[in-house]
Amino acid sequence: MSWVNRFAGWFFVPVPLARVAVFRLIAYLFIPVDVFVTTRWVAAHAGVPTEYYQPLLIGDWLSLPTPTTAVVDTVKWLLIGSALLAATGKAPRIWGTTTFLLYFEWMVIAMSYGKVDHDRYAFLVALAVLPTIGVARWRDKRRSEAAGFAVAVIFIAVMLTYFLAAWAKIRFGGWDWVNGSTLTRAVLRRGTDLSTWTLDVPGLLHVSQYLMLGFELLSPLMLLVRRDRARIALVIFLLGFHLMVFAGVRIIFLPHVVALLSLVPWERFQLHRQPPEVIPRSDDLAPAAS
Amino acid sequence: MVAVTDRETTEQDAAAEVVHLTAGERLIRLVIAAAILTLTLVGTVVSDDEAFPFGPPRMYATRADPDAPVSSTRVVGLTDDGVEVRLSGGEVGLRRAEFEGQVPRLVENPELLGLLAVTYAANHPAAPPLEAVAIIVRRYELDDGVRTGSYVYDVLVTYPIPDPEGSP
Repeated sequence: MSWVNRFAGWFFVPVPLARVAVFRLIAYLFIPVDVFVTTRWVAAHAGVPTEYYQPLLIGDWLSLPTPTTAVVDTVKWLLIGSALLAATGKAPRIWGTTTFLLYFEWMVIAMSYGKVDHDRYAFLVALAVLPTIGVARWRDKRRSEAAGFAVAVIFIAVMLTYFLAAWAKIRFGGWDWVNGSTLTRAVLRRGTDLSTWTLDVPGLLHVSQYLMLGFELLSPLMLLVRRDRARIALVIFLLGFHLMVFAGVRIIFLPHVVALLSLVPWERFQLHRQPPEVIPRSDDLAPAAS
Repeated sequence: MVAVTDRETTEQDAAAEVVHLTAGERLIRLVIAAAILTLTLVGTVVSDDEAFPFGPPRMYATRADPDAPVSSTRVVGLTDDGVEVRLSGGEVGLRRAEFEGQVPRLVENPELLGLLAVTYAANHPAAPPLEAVAIIVRRYELDDGVRTGSYVYDVLVTYPIPDPEGSP
């Protein structure tokens, strides 16, 4: 019985409400950025002939409407309105739920034209669980088991994005994936000035494939990271990886990166109102410097 | 400057009040999470992209043969003067990868390419009309994973746009 309690307990370790209040604002304000700046091609589907629409299984099962110009534009503006309302933090269960449902439909519109992206599983999970937290304010000093559950499942979703990517490589590419030329192919097709030199260094991209698969297979270990500074270090490491990939092949898992930010103990960064009497120890600054 | 002290995430502010969940609220959360996790794992193991959002995250999961050429697909429109206009860079609302995902279907039903000429004309009213739409593949040669510098063009399909009714 005790191991059941300990397992269940991992999901409900209380997390400060102020932490999820900050993350929630970031997540909901990211949606207009996603729609209008970083993933503009989704809205462009409004003008695509509907003959090019190739419904996903979920679109068939739920009989979701064919994305005509009117459907795409309506979903877009409802989503933006809902996300901005959710960002205010008022009625978080209602606006959080409508935002999740509309963003989900937005993703169905995005992925139904012959190409499915894999950069937003954790972000979708985040949008799904944020409404379950209820009211959370920036200065709320209380900790909440509901908030703890939300952060725990977003963390698992982040981890699964890496771990299941390794699974997919072994499933589709075979164990010999590491000895293929997948990265060479990626740099040839999408390379930048910062990455094309790697094509002329024999073995470099080959070794990188071993490192990538190794990291992805070990990713479940990240769930053991519990201390605040270790979590900040983990987030910085993962952000570094995604920035490196972006510099090399112009692919950034931006919604996934936003979901990563749920691991940051934001409430610790809020400015203390009393004047600091103690000079921070030098090692307190270490994560920011590394 | 903000000091981040090193405390266990789980053991901070022990004095702070904790908002608890009831046993029922915990149970429903765990049951739904287990269902989503199961769908995700099953989707990754047996399904594919059409199972979104539960399909396998198969970005770059396919093993590329170090000696097979690297293909890069483009969809282009051809004007009367023989000028190539790129259509696979968002000009008609679709990305290159989306065209690549639909290439077999487009080769089988080239009349679908004709629809792009209409969309292109609507998006670019000042541009000269397209006479044909084609799918072109450029294949870069690799030798043991290293590019040799040579490539070949391959036109997969060309669809001439039918003249509008009544024009000479």
